[in-house]
Amino acid sequence: MQLPLLASTFLTVFVAELGDKTQLTIVTISGTSNNTLAVFLGSAGALVLASLLGALAGGSLSTVIPADALQLAASLGFLVIGLRLILRSGTDAP
Amino acid sequence: MSDPVDPDSSASPEASGSPEASANHEIETPESSDFVAVAATTFTTVFLAELGDKTQLAALLLSAESGRPGVVFAGAALALICSSLAGVLLGRWLAAVLPAQRLERISGVLMVSLGLWLGGQATFGLLQPVLDLSTP
Repeated sequence: MQLPLLASTFLTVFVAELGDKTQLTIVTISGTSNNTLAVFLGSAGALVLASLLGALAGGSLSTVIPADALQLAASLGFLVIGLRLILRSGTDAP
Repeated sequence: MSDPVDPDSSASPEASGSPEASANHEIETPESSDFVAVAATTFTTVFLAELGDKTQLAALLLSAESGRPGVVFAGAALALICSSLAGVLLGRWLAAVLPAQRLERISGVLMVSLGLWLGGQATFGLLQPVLDLSTP
């Protein structure tokens, strides 16, 4: 009885996440870091906690925390990581 | 009797013997802080990016709230763990295939583009009420 619901949720979320910016981030961090396990634990933990918060708050999460402010913070993180990678690739060059 | 020990011959088996083994031993010393730093950086970035993007998942969970939210959460969590595992493995594969320097450059450009796109969207979203007010 619960298995179809579990499977349909799994497939929906899995397909929705494929190629998402979150997964691109994980690919980027994993490819440029030697610590595969740390990247996996960090990303899986963040995703599960974020979805747990979403589940607990339901649809009201975006009214409690302004999503745009979070996105702005995340975009700053992307910029910092990206610029650091570009600078590193420049200094690696012979 | 007093054979002088050649520093080179005694040092070389140790040094060239097992770089992997010595790297594994260092898990508790300098590597552990690196491990925590990498995990924390990944966690923060993914968490912030994902939390701001939680509207679809929240709607999905809300739509199933009449039924069994626990099962829906379990399914969603499993899917997210699998997708992050797929991402990590894809990253490792790319690191094995591409030269490190080129991968770093591609990744950097991708991250900066994502950052600009996300930041632009978020800034636009934050400014939207102000823009609405200014145009009567």
